Amino acid sequence: MAGSSGNLGETPAPADRAAGPVHRGSAKGGWLRQFGWRHAIGLAALAFALFPVLFVVSAALNPLGTLSSTELIPTGASWENFRKILGGTRFPRWFANTLVIGTVAAVAGMFLSACAAYAFSRYRFRGRRMGLLSLLLVQMFPQFLAAVALYLMFTVMTDYYPPIGFNTRSGLILLYLGGALSVNTWLMKGFLDSIPVELDESAKVDGASHAQIFFGIILPLVAPILAVTALLGFILAVNEFLLASIFLTDLEAQTLAVGLWGLVAGERNNNFGAYCAGSLLTAIPTVALFQFLQRYIVSGLTSGAVKG
Amino acid sequence: MADVHLDKINKKYENGFHAVCDLDLHIADGEFLVLVGPSGCGKSTALRMIAGLEDITSGTLQIGGRVVNALSPKDRDIAMVFQSYALYPHMTVADNIAYGLKIRRMNKDEIRRRVKRAADMLELGPLLHRRPKQLSGGQRQRVAMGRAIVREPQVFLMDEPLSNLDAKLRVQMRAEIAQLQRDLKTTTVYVTHDQVEAMTMGDRIAVMKAGLLQQAGAPQYLYDNPDNLFVAGFIGSPPMNMALGRLERTGGGERESAGWTVALGSARLPLPAEVAVERPALAAYLDRDIAVGIRSEDMEDARLAQGARARMRATVILTEALGSEIIVHLEHDARRLVTDDTRILEKETGAADVPRHDGGTRIVASFAPRSPVRPRDEIEIAVDTARIHFFDPTSGAAVRA
Repeated sequence: MAGSSGNLGETPAPADRAAGPVHRGSAKGGWLRQFGWRHAIGLAALAFALFPVLFVVSAALNPLGTLSSTELIPTGASWENFRKILGGTRFPRWFANTLVIGTVAAVAGMFLSACAAYAFSRYRFRGRRMGLLSLLLVQMFPQFLAAVALYLMFTVMTDYYPPIGFNTRSGLILLYLGGALSVNTWLMKGFLDSIPVELDESAKVDGASHAQIFFGIILPLVAPILAVTALLGFILAVNEFLLASIFLTDLEAQTLAVGLWGLVAGERNNNFGAYCAGSLLTAIPTVALFQFLQRYIVSGLTSGAVKG
Repeated sequence: MADVHLDKINKKYENGFHAVCDLDLHIADGEFLVLVGPSGCGKSTALRMIAGLEDITSGTLQIGGRVVNALSPKDRDIAMVFQSYALYPHMTVADNIAYGLKIRRMNKDEIRRRVKRAADMLELGPLLHRRPKQLSGGQRQRVAMGRAIVREPQVFLMDEPLSNLDAKLRVQMRAEIAQLQRDLKTTTVYVTHDQVEAMTMGDRIAVMKAGLLQQAGAPQYLYDNPDNLFVAGFIGSPPMNMALGRLERTGGGERESAGWTVALGSARLPLPAEVAVERPALAAYLDRDIAVGIRSEDMEDARLAQGARARMRATVILTEALGSEIIVHLEHDARRLVTDDTRILEKETGAADVPRHDGGTRIVASFAPRSPVRPRDEIEIAVDTARIHFFDPTSGAAVRA
């Protein structure tokens, strides 16, 4: 057969056919084709996301503290803006207001919607369908529409019962609880529906009361969605501006969103550095909460409840 | 320990569906009762009513002589094993087993003692600190059992606890549960759609169909004396062969019954004298259509049964040699029996999905392994006519005394 490898006898040498050096490579293409473009897109997205953050950090550190003097890359660094916002304004007070309102609204909102969702998910009662639908419908009206009605309601409320009227934390908390309830209830109901009813029944036969089933069996299993609703509730309370600006006119009672806006509402240029410093501080609790709740959001606890 | 007494129990849903109809059952103290029937027959609903997970529409339910209609599950002193096991996924095996005791505020040492005992019984010792998702199907099933026995309840309720297991494990767990129940002597109600489970596990079987109790009795009694077509077809594997026949008087001989034959297609099977004596009601069916049921083991290859008088010819379609016996599928020219019961049974076994092209009746017989039978043979079958079952073709009720 192959003359050059005649000394091997009958066996044809495969090396003869594949003369020359062997090129090894992936059938899927080189590194660039496989992974490279993903890195490029990732980098582009990262730049897109980081640009505003960088600008705000730069503005916060800018010693001149004006919008016109701010560059993307910090030209100098000083804590002047932070000193100004912490000392020269009601910022600490706003911060406390926001934390209290956010925390209470998040925790209470989570609990309320968990209770509502549990009832909607597990019990069959008259008005169940109607209740679910109206929760959904109410959600469809824009907030602007509600603002007027709420304002009128709270005008009366302030006259008769000032502790939950205008310029109070509890009044705003009440508002936020109502606002987030329907979305959270639907969100959580979907989650609860995926937990087998046999678990409730099994606990019932074991002798658990409704409360014991709810707190001992069901809530631990929906921890991820509880974390999500709490987080959403907190973020909503921290970021919400429209209602807060209507309800909180007193400087002492304002939240961060309203207070900070007040800083730049008059003269945008001069207070810009202080505004950015305040924004950075505002971001801290939200980011911290995200970090803390991350593992609950990621983990799914329901696996293994039933076969499969 | 307690007995369970169901007196005219009814379940009607709001949409009008009558799931359980006048169910009368008395389950003795320590008895293992199996509720069996095709899916949707109301057996699970009945069990859930005993558990207190469904309200009883009407009727009286007593556990240990106490009317429990209005008691919540926790006050009925029962334990239930669910088909899906319903283990609490966020608790360890030990916590799962102990949950019912903790809820009842039992003291810690007693809980530890009981959990250990249950774990020893079910060989769960090394698994106590695992989570349910780290367990195999069989182990989860065991934990579910452990959770029931640790409570030491008056009654065990089991809702198809083995149907999520693979075939081999099911056979093993079947024996284990039966053994466990025998050791604990706890009254048990066990729901299944698998008649093999019913036959092998139960002290007594209650067969249900469409919300109605069909017959209750010891497994062998039900097998030998089915009250109606449905029970006859449901209990036993392979199922009883059914065909439409005719009861005829042959010759002029008026001697006590010996002159009766069953006409099945072209076959004429003479009935022995004792059949007429034991089942006098048969006389009313002379010269009329009658549903005939023959169990597979009551037929034999005629070449192996010398001297048997009752014979019929049939064509072999398929043989399945199992070693200890040969299952022979035959085609016979007898008229097919089609009633509501046979339709339900066909649906249950999946036979309704198999296309049929013939007008005759399929017969399944089990022959001794010595039989030289081969597919496509036309053979003679000897029938043990003393063991033929007769049913009314319209009502489906057994024709006996």
